[in-house]
Amino acid sequence: MDKLVYDAIVLGGGLAGLMSAHEIASAGFRVAVISKVFPTRSHSSSAEGGIAAYVKGNSDPNDDPNYMTYDTVKGGDYLVDQDAAELLSIKSGDIVEIMERWGTLFNRQPDGRVALRYFGGQTYPRTRFVGDKTGMALLHTLFERVSGLSVDFYNEWFALDLVTDERRVVGAVAMEMKSMEPYLFLGKAVILATGGMGMLYAHTTNAYINTGDGYAMALRAGAALKDPEFVQFHPTALYPSDILISEAARGEGGILRNNKGERFMARYAPKKLDLAPRDIASRSIMIEIREGRGFPGNYVGLDLTHLGESYIKERLALAYEAAMNFAGVDATKEYIPVRPAQHYYMGGVDVDITGKNGDLQGLFAAGEAACVSVHGANRLGSNSLLETLVFGRETGQAVVSYLKRAEGSSSTDIQKEAEKIVNDAYSFVKSETGVHFGEILNKMRNVMWEDVGIFRNEDLLKTALSEVEKLRAQVKNMYVTDKSKVYNTEFFNALELRNMMDLAVVIAKAALTRTESRGAHYRTDYPERDDKNWLKHTIAYLKADKVEIGFKPVTLTKYQPEARVY
Amino acid sequence: METQSIQNNLEQREVLVKVKRYSKERGEYWQEYKLNVDRFTQMTEVLRKIKTEQDPTLAYRASCHMAVCGSCSMKINGEPRLACKTLALDIVKKYNSNVITLEPMDFFPVEKDLVVNLDDFYGRMFKVKPRLYPPKEFMEGTAEPRLRPEDQKELWKFAQCIWCGLCVSSCPAVKIDPEFLGPAAHAKGYRFLADPRDSIYEERLKILVDSSWRCTYCYQCFNVCPRDVEPVTTIKKTRSHTKFLKDKGEVARTGEKHVKAIFDSIKETGKLEEAKVYLTTYGLATAIRDMLYTMRNGKVGFAMIKEKKINELDQVRKLMGE
Repeated sequence: MDKLVYDAIVLGGGLAGLMSAHEIASAGFRVAVISKVFPTRSHSSSAEGGIAAYVKGNSDPNDDPNYMTYDTVKGGDYLVDQDAAELLSIKSGDIVEIMERWGTLFNRQPDGRVALRYFGGQTYPRTRFVGDKTGMALLHTLFERVSGLSVDFYNEWFALDLVTDERRVVGAVAMEMKSMEPYLFLGKAVILATGGMGMLYAHTTNAYINTGDGYAMALRAGAALKDPEFVQFHPTALYPSDILISEAARGEGGILRNNKGERFMARYAPKKLDLAPRDIASRSIMIEIREGRGFPGNYVGLDLTHLGESYIKERLALAYEAAMNFAGVDATKEYIPVRPAQHYYMGGVDVDITGKNGDLQGLFAAGEAACVSVHGANRLGSNSLLETLVFGRETGQAVVSYLKRAEGSSSTDIQKEAEKIVNDAYSFVKSETGVHFGEILNKMRNVMWEDVGIFRNEDLLKTALSEVEKLRAQVKNMYVTDKSKVYNTEFFNALELRNMMDLAVVIAKAALTRTESRGAHYRTDYPERDDKNWLKHTIAYLKADKVEIGFKPVTLTKYQPEARVY
Repeated sequence: METQSIQNNLEQREVLVKVKRYSKERGEYWQEYKLNVDRFTQMTEVLRKIKTEQDPTLAYRASCHMAVCGSCSMKINGEPRLACKTLALDIVKKYNSNVITLEPMDFFPVEKDLVVNLDDFYGRMFKVKPRLYPPKEFMEGTAEPRLRPEDQKELWKFAQCIWCGLCVSSCPAVKIDPEFLGPAAHAKGYRFLADPRDSIYEERLKILVDSSWRCTYCYQCFNVCPRDVEPVTTIKKTRSHTKFLKDKGEVARTGEKHVKAIFDSIKETGKLEEAKVYLTTYGLATAIRDMLYTMRNGKVGFAMIKEKKINELDQVRKLMGE
């Protein structure tokens, strides 16, 4: 197997990966970005509503990074590490200014300064935006910027696994999808910036490529996931195609209505109404539907009609377009049909505020792949784009200082290890008969949606756990019918399924373990938050076929837990 | 207010999907799949269903399924489109047939099934230096890079290119003229050329102007762009910058002459005198050579037509800003 040697290897070409690569390359180190898609096709492009930021001299005069930290901590139901949230808030202005200088075409105020709007859970409006294609605008700016640096891009390369040496990461094995040729990438540091995992769920707003590859690679290499039970459901996915209708729609004044035309959020969040955080809005919608106040087909209406045609078409262009193209609904005249769908994963590779993992030396993670944790039990809208860039940058800088003192060479036979990784990848799919990935995939997505979804309880979770364990065992008998040596996407889909199943068992087990309700993790059998027993992070390892659960304290600085009322 | 009951419209209907497949081992062949869709089924979902439920060997690209990533470009019933932005039953309705054909995009070499090689496309995009080169003061933070809302609006229209390649796949000029950068690269280039905060205007002009005169204005890029970027508009706008370019190449000079000839002809007669415009644009030598060709084809009469001035010439001149 051929070797490619770098200082650092970034897996993933979305916002977090590109920002860290930018920092590493700017410091003069050799960095490779490996992505299974061309970078502008990363899921970052789908982020819509905006990026939260306190910008000095261009924010609400009453706003302050402390309010931003507080909103983030409260929104995350106090599972947030407060030092991380502080860092996120303090650096938010810098990040928006950097992207602005690099050419992101943020919407403007009349005087030419960057405009802002409200998002759920914000005390003051602080979301910066480019229409409702903010993620696309940021991703293109950053990709185009980094493409002008000396960064080696490996686009449409599929990473199989991390290569480790004792307790250290020394690289990764990746396969060129076009030639199916595996290569060993050697580097002193590896950054997982592989994004989220929406494809685990039958209903998701995520891209098809979000299959949790980074989480699974970390687990298999012996690193922990933090808070894996926390899966965010977005309240407003378009019915029936699950395309995201941005939270900006509610931020700009959109109203959720049931089949009687009632503004039902008045019952669930009397003060914040439709701008209540996502977990609360999602559960409220599900309750309305369950109690018979949804529309036939099981959805509720998102009413924008009072905003006026020109405002909708300028500020909520994508929402308007999606409703029109995919549901045949004219949002200037009718309610948009919406229901909740999986949207974001708060859990992730366990890292500190520099993006460093404590289990494996040289392993870093950033963006949705990581759990820093700034989102705690529930992420606030427009904090994810912010996280990718702030912690992409922090992680990149941490890798730079790590590279300056890291030692080279290793003792074990890396080549052998790499060959084992390739053989493992092939072995579970090399039988001549068995099941196809599609059969297992569809079953898993339904189990996760039905039993590890918006409402959870012991019975559901036990069923789910035994079901996903069974499916995970079946993966070992999977077989790939395509023997082609060019873009064998069946093989990569099978590998993605292996990754998803490794993650599914960890999520189900962690959800079963946490006997309380907090943020997006809602247990009908334990409906209250229990700070006495559960104000702590879940730490999960996957050892052979066993999920091992441990705990870690939450970092509190200024804010003591209080009841979360909106 | 009532939202119509969408559930009532979820009836399934069977479609026949014919996919043009290709692999190194098997060469090119067509394969058919039957499946049920409803009025909301996107073509990316059709492909996903085929792959997970019927034939895992089918290769295609897809990512965001909401028309912002540009992965799923292909030809659907012969039209260059994003599969995600195409509903199966809309195609059935449009062509009045339940048969839907899927083929790889034109122009780019096919790697496998619907997956094409986009290296050439990316090469063109990078040629135009697709990034802002802000002035020093912005980077050092000594000047605030404000942008007027109307400038943001104008630039954002052209910045929304998602690198899908559909416009290039449908562009006839790209196919015959290797010097033409193609519509997507022009849109990208113009987005930065027109940005008041950019600092390498001259260099950009040099890259873009000659190529901009190689476009044939067929409007295919305008028709197929899934984000309504209007690459052809950016090409027109780039041409208007020709006057600022110091060392003009042959193509740009001819282009400028052509525009001037048309302007003069209309000013003079109120009409487009094709023969005269031709002579002024290309010069006597070329015109004589081409005239011989025209004579051989028995078309010389058309070139000799004498145009009369129109009656209300004053009004035309007024419109032209005289």
